[in-house]
Amino acid sequence: MNLLDIKNLTLEIDVAGQWVKALDKVNLVIFEGQIHALVGESGSGKSLIVKAIVGALPQRWRITADRMTWRGQNLLTMSASARRDLIRNDISVIFQNPKGSLDPLLTLGEQLKEIIPDSSCEAKWFWPSRSEKQRLAIELLHRVGIKDHDLCMRSYPHQISNDVCQKFMIAMALASEPKLIIADDPTRGMEITAKSQILKLLTRVNQVRKLSILFVSHDLLAISSMAHYMTVLYCGQSVESGNMLQLKKRALHPYTQALLDSAPSFRKDLPPKSTLSSLDGTIPTLQHLPTGCRLGPRCPRARRECVVVPAVRRVHEHYYSCHFPLHWDKI
Amino acid sequence: MTDLLSVENLAFYNRNRKQGWFKAPTDFELGPVSFTLKAGETLAIVGGNSSGKSFLAKLLVGLESPQSGQILLNGEPLTKANQRQRCLNVRMIFQNSNESLNPGITLGSILDEPLRLNTDLSPAQRLVKIEQTLVQVGLMPEHQFFYRHMLSDGQRQRVALARALILNPQVLVADEPFAALDPSVRSQIVNLLMKIQRELGLGFIFISHNLGIVRHVSDKIIVMRRGQIIETGKTEVIFTWPKEEYTQKLVHSHQALINRQNT
Repeated sequence: MNLLDIKNLTLEIDVAGQWVKALDKVNLVIFEGQIHALVGESGSGKSLIVKAIVGALPQRWRITADRMTWRGQNLLTMSASARRDLIRNDISVIFQNPKGSLDPLLTLGEQLKEIIPDSSCEAKWFWPSRSEKQRLAIELLHRVGIKDHDLCMRSYPHQISNDVCQKFMIAMALASEPKLIIADDPTRGMEITAKSQILKLLTRVNQVRKLSILFVSHDLLAISSMAHYMTVLYCGQSVESGNMLQLKKRALHPYTQALLDSAPSFRKDLPPKSTLSSLDGTIPTLQHLPTGCRLGPRCPRARRECVVVPAVRRVHEHYYSCHFPLHWDKI
Repeated sequence: MTDLLSVENLAFYNRNRKQGWFKAPTDFELGPVSFTLKAGETLAIVGGNSSGKSFLAKLLVGLESPQSGQILLNGEPLTKANQRQRCLNVRMIFQNSNESLNPGITLGSILDEPLRLNTDLSPAQRLVKIEQTLVQVGLMPEHQFFYRHMLSDGQRQRVALARALILNPQVLVADEPFAALDPSVRSQIVNLLMKIQRELGLGFIFISHNLGIVRHVSDKIIVMRRGQIIETGKTEVIFTWPKEEYTQKLVHSHQALINRQNT
């Protein structure tokens, strides 16, 4: 059963008097128990999608979508309070910058106990429920691999290191026992041992509790080791989505191929110190988006037809939008 | 061939007094550290957070002065007396290229500063040099009139590189030069650095978390932990036969990520 179903999500932002499409017809379907990777470079609108799902975008931006449903309930027409309840119970988000998204004035223990819902404690009176919350909080911290729970609960966000903070955010996300965790770049700037710990933790949570995870990142190495399904974004357009293995074996879109080639670890035959393949140019800014396929000016295979926005095409479960896909003859 | 840069028993320690009655004194110790670097060679420093990697880089370029030990450049010790020689020959790319560029002045003035302070070139010669360097790192001469905020991440990194290269140094120290960059831009910068190294024969010391790139770019690796060098060796040797427990942990967790791809 699909948990979250988004079809043709478009987000328009007012930039200096004209409306710019920051997200252009993005499709996203998340099934139960699936790890879905959302890959894209900075400025490609990954975080905007996350914010659109939880409804944290400013009112004045225009959001339109053909369909945006959570287990059959329409998120767009729902009243604000109903949506808030739903997101409180079923979705939790691990934000990009763990230290920035915690309250600097409260200790971590207070923040964690605040987020544990009353319904998860059995005791109804104040004192018993308080001690039960304490117990639950410690349990959560142990589950994410923080051993010294007393020290962690007593300290303020600035006092603990970044990766412990990140683990703490995951503990907070697990507190309300959600159906979907949205992890927005949880391994950014981490050293490799801490990173693999966090990835293992998320994988375990996914396997043990059948949680779905939307994993947003640009670290392909981390993502492709755990995700089942991947969507690649470029400048607000979803360029390709499909099964992880299939996508890695045979990427159809030139951009996906470029992303895969950019990580030297993916290719064993690469001699050291050889030139890596890369796309020319950089990501365009929102004010200067090219017409048609937004990869156009950087794409090595671009032709005249690329000034028209390519329609989404489909081969089995593999969606792509490109006029001249790679590996076309092999399908 | 003599070594371009050799570091002998470099050590630094900082003992803090007790800050409270019950607090243990916090010590920071680095070294003693010794290593050598040949021209045209790339040395990578890897290690966990707060292992003293960045601090070692600061010692090398002279931002901090060591308590003991010495740094030899082409066989001559670098001291306070020949500060200028060090400025000319050992240059650094800082961790966060975004914040290390002055937002208030144009890129031309940013690049002009090291020339004005360290060389005797006339303004016209400096201008020529700035334009040359901008072209060398793949920007246009017109970029000298731009400000920091007008550039993208990759371009900023190129400016940081230009600032390091403008004095024709012999050693380049880069502290996490690729961390803030997106994958497609990152491989551009990696290619650029390797190209410049081939052309100019620079000794290149770089600090990174990204073991994939470390493996691709470097000739030698230093593994650091808690201010000590725990293992050094050729890149292939370290990645294939890591000796120390910590190195094994690093390499294995990197390999595990790659191997899971292929299953």
